[in-house]
Amino acid sequence: MKTAPALAEGFPDLSGMRIAREPHWFRWLSAALIVLVLALIVRAFAAGQIEWSYVSRFLTAKVILEGIVNTMVMAVLAMALGIFLGVVIAIMRLSPNPVLKTVAAGYTWLFRGTPLILQLLLWFNLALVFPTIGIPGLWSARAVDVMTPFLAALLGLGINQGAYTSEVMRAGMLSVDIGQYEAAQAIGMGRLRALRRIVLPQAMRVVIPPLGNEFIGMVKATSLASVIQYPELLHNAENIYYANSRVIELLIVAGLWYLLVVSVLTPLQMLLERRFARGTLRLAR
Amino acid sequence: MTRLSYFLGIAALAAATSAQAAELPAEIKQAGALKLTVNSTYAPMEYRDPATNELVGLDVDLANELAKRLGVKIVWSETPFAELIPSLQTKRADFIISGISDRASRRETADFVDYLGTGPQFFVMAENEAKAATDLCGKKVGTTRSTSFPVEIEKWSKQNCEPAGKPAIQYVPGENSIDVRNQLKQGRIDAAVQGSETLPYAQTQEPGKYRVIGEPFAKGYQGIMFRKDDAALREVVTEKLTAMIADGSYKAVLDKWGLGGNAVAQPMLNAASQ
Repeated sequence: MKTAPALAEGFPDLSGMRIAREPHWFRWLSAALIVLVLALIVRAFAAGQIEWSYVSRFLTAKVILEGIVNTMVMAVLAMALGIFLGVVIAIMRLSPNPVLKTVAAGYTWLFRGTPLILQLLLWFNLALVFPTIGIPGLWSARAVDVMTPFLAALLGLGINQGAYTSEVMRAGMLSVDIGQYEAAQAIGMGRLRALRRIVLPQAMRVVIPPLGNEFIGMVKATSLASVIQYPELLHNAENIYYANSRVIELLIVAGLWYLLVVSVLTPLQMLLERRFARGTLRLAR
Repeated sequence: MTRLSYFLGIAALAAATSAQAAELPAEIKQAGALKLTVNSTYAPMEYRDPATNELVGLDVDLANELAKRLGVKIVWSETPFAELIPSLQTKRADFIISGISDRASRRETADFVDYLGTGPQFFVMAENEAKAATDLCGKKVGTTRSTSFPVEIEKWSKQNCEPAGKPAIQYVPGENSIDVRNQLKQGRIDAAVQGSETLPYAQTQEPGKYRVIGEPFAKGYQGIMFRKDDAALREVVTEKLTAMIADGSYKAVLDKWGLGGNAVAQPMLNAASQ
């Protein structure tokens, strides 16, 4: 057994004393206050003029479930279109060709510069400008038969998303060290091949977190398509309360579904991040 | 307890005064203003004048005349059609006069003082071939999805298309009257439905563009909507409206908007049949 080193004369031995815990009065007080306020809010909602039976009845109603399916289909397709356009525009933007560069900058300027809801209304009402559309001599159709609420929503959401995603992609490509471009060039790779094999795989790691963010935004932005009669979640919930006047109950139903979807998406994003960070797993953890 | 006695006091006061002329509720009298909320996309009932951006329309004129007789001002606000009933319930508005139809389904939450005849009316583009309403069976018919018209169309289709062995009308939703007419112009829909009181105005805006088909296919009334527990306010407004009908000022407003034919002989409480 080890003996404690001898203390100089006049110094008390503190080693055996219990270490007192700091009381943290304010920490306890603030926690109690916050819990109290939360409890009051919960109580207020529980006692408020909300018919919870309507919430549980409509939570799994067929129209609502169809709405959430339509919301997800639209969010995935519009995001896919947005990512495709975003990659193309980002590559154009970083190209040495001044025409490509200007067109890419103009696209971002136009679609990021106008409100999404305005763009949706323009696509939906396109037939007021062009009653028929088509390829001269090959094919033509009434614009309204082509520009269904579905397609108008897809184009409006996807093209708008492309403008934002192009900036995310450009940031990702800029984050790859210039030496990587030079090395690829040095071993004789062309610009596009170097992008595909060297730069984009490394950029992916950087762009996944902001893209996940954008996708969550997209899930909720699909609700704007309700004004052009795309039957997504909010549109269908509104239709129910237009008939039965249970406004708050149906809005809660829709809100719960949006929350559920976003909660499921967050861990999925984490899995995706890990996949693209295989080379640098230590950092990603 | 004090609040309860306060209410009892008001109630007693209301009971005492109801023998004589009805009186404005104290709260409104004190504020000197009525809070009214409209959905201003429904010309000529209420809309923003494109030239001046002023709120105008038949309902606005009637409300102004009512307010003048009540000796109060009006504080206007606007909301989407579907939010009119919530606005009344949450007391954002004292009552609602905004082209809203008296419907049995809406009477669960409100009382209606009916003041104008109305009915859903089919109309098409002038060049459309449809002659009678039954020609619209199987066709796409659009209307504002937040109104009672989708249900009315379905009902009419059941009663008129199916017995004749024709396919049912396909209902297409729209966001508001303007959106529905845009869908009609683009050929997204074959016909549209609006309240009969709004069509003369739409036709003056775009002359020769639309043609109405038949008569309004259901008879109903537009109503001023009151909270169920607001009988005092309802009574005083009904009284002033009765006076306006008697002295011709009501008719003058209707004539100004080309809707003299939709006049009622007297205000009626919850009188629409459906």
